[in-house]
Amino acid sequence: MSMQAALPIAMIPGNSIIHRINPLAKLVWVVGYVVLAFSTQNIVILYSMAVFAFILAPIAGVTKPLLKACLILVPVGSSLLALQIIAPAVERPWTEVASLGPLPLYGDGLYYGFVLLGRIVASLIIALVMVMTTHPSDLFTSFAKLKVPYTLNFMLAMTLQLIPVFQREVGIILSAQKSRGMKGTGFAAVLPSFVPVFVGAIERVQQLSISLESRGFGSNGVKTSYRQVRGRPSDWVVGIVGALVVAGLSTYSIMRGTWSLAGEIQFSSVFVFVTFLISATIFAGIILAAILFSFKK
Amino acid sequence: MPDSTTTDVPLAIDIRDARYVYPTGNVVALGGVDLKVERGEIIGIIGQNGSGKTTLTKLFNGLLKPTSGSVIINGIDAAKHTVQQMAAHVGYVFQNPNHQLFARTVQAELEFGPRNIGVTEDDIAVRVAEAVEFFGLQDVIEEHPYRVSFPIRKLVGIASIVAMRPSIIIFDEPSTGQDHNTTQIINDLMRRLREEGTTVVCVSHDMPLLADVVERVIVMKNTEIIADATPREVFADKALMARTNLQAPQVTEIALQTVVPFGGPVALTPAELAADIASRVGRKAKTASPAAEVAS
Repeated sequence: MSMQAALPIAMIPGNSIIHRINPLAKLVWVVGYVVLAFSTQNIVILYSMAVFAFILAPIAGVTKPLLKACLILVPVGSSLLALQIIAPAVERPWTEVASLGPLPLYGDGLYYGFVLLGRIVASLIIALVMVMTTHPSDLFTSFAKLKVPYTLNFMLAMTLQLIPVFQREVGIILSAQKSRGMKGTGFAAVLPSFVPVFVGAIERVQQLSISLESRGFGSNGVKTSYRQVRGRPSDWVVGIVGALVVAGLSTYSIMRGTWSLAGEIQFSSVFVFVTFLISATIFAGIILAAILFSFKK
Repeated sequence: MPDSTTTDVPLAIDIRDARYVYPTGNVVALGGVDLKVERGEIIGIIGQNGSGKTTLTKLFNGLLKPTSGSVIINGIDAAKHTVQQMAAHVGYVFQNPNHQLFARTVQAELEFGPRNIGVTEDDIAVRVAEAVEFFGLQDVIEEHPYRVSFPIRKLVGIASIVAMRPSIIIFDEPSTGQDHNTTQIINDLMRRLREEGTTVVCVSHDMPLLADVVERVIVMKNTEIIADATPREVFADKALMARTNLQAPQVTEIALQTVVPFGGPVALTPAELAADIASRVGRKAKTASPAAEVAS
């Protein structure tokens, strides 16, 4: 089905070098990214991490679906920047660099907004690249090697495997509702699609749990896996390098008190003003569209 | 929707060299299909899974747009209109009713489609009342669609499309997973729709249902139409059945092995076969079903 093309958060089959890396090595990088992202306020580091993660996408052949999935960053990013510029989440004093009528705009707010956005962007991109290049069963096998409890491991693998199933289901349901003349806009139009999706999800999970129990899930004994994942020397190198880089940078960052460049980087008043205008317009547009659609029949 | 037509009364479905390639570009789901369906015809589409049946029918209401070729429905170019615009012309009954039911009551469910296509409230009431009566939904009209049994839910799904009164209705596997009673209602519905002049397209693996109801069978294989004939001709063609890995209705198979070699008809229903056998032994065939006999 064409739905395959519209599945942004699922494994994209391939044989790239990223696909072939051991899932555990990739997991080290993802966890490392999150740790480093939240231990530093250095925007150069944060956006370098995001760029590096994004470079992996074309290597893995997942650029298009990755960009689709990253669309979620538009409302998140615009709201973060707009709100941080007018109400920074850092201790006072704030440096007012411009104003929009009675509304003061703060340069340190923009910096911290970039920090928060950078953390999200870097972590999201690396996590998506991992999900898009790793077979859930391989991840399951890798976790099993790490002695993660079987039930917990199974739940994680099932969740990942159900995502594309639900996405396909949403596509079919939207088609069914459009076939009945649904206009496809507004909250009144969203409801006809979400009810069947949730009901279907609950039914599917119920059936799955019954099916699992009827096939002996939860019984004692050694569990084996059909798919085997081997750790090659190159995987060890990737994992260890990732761990060392993250550990090094995180430690250095913490030692330097989050390594913030807020003092060194001074945004001009025009830049802050324009950034606020753009992000606030996008954010307000999204909010306004949501409100209008909610009241539109 | 002012589209040019070549005749005063355009065909219900006029497909010319329609191809559909999935956006990924590497899977041809439909390869150069031509199909003409008159208004009021009732046709069946058969073929193995992946042969292109569903893809073909999804072109009818614009759920899929042809990669090349044209899809003209009632004189309207389906590729140039939205699914919502085509919904007034083409009703699509999905295989799984759970994919379309959402309202709090069966009544609201039946009203949803007609309201979307701009039917007046008075007309909606009439249409819903008719659908409720035909499908026997009187006892569940205030129920939540998910609280009724699956066969009834299936009927609610079909009724919600019928209430829109499109001139073309597509049934995707209408009898799959249904009990005998529901299948019989679906069978009766198709006959009634034919009498009312509605064009019916039925995609199904249920050969007895098709043999009983449709007047034309389209056979698909490897994304192309390879046969287009009456059910009798299609089901009697052993080579075609073998080539497509399809199986004619059992009664037809029996007829082909017993009465056909002796000049008998290619029976499509038990009644036809029974009548021929009865005439050969000089007796009148009993047409009542075993269940009816037991009841009597």
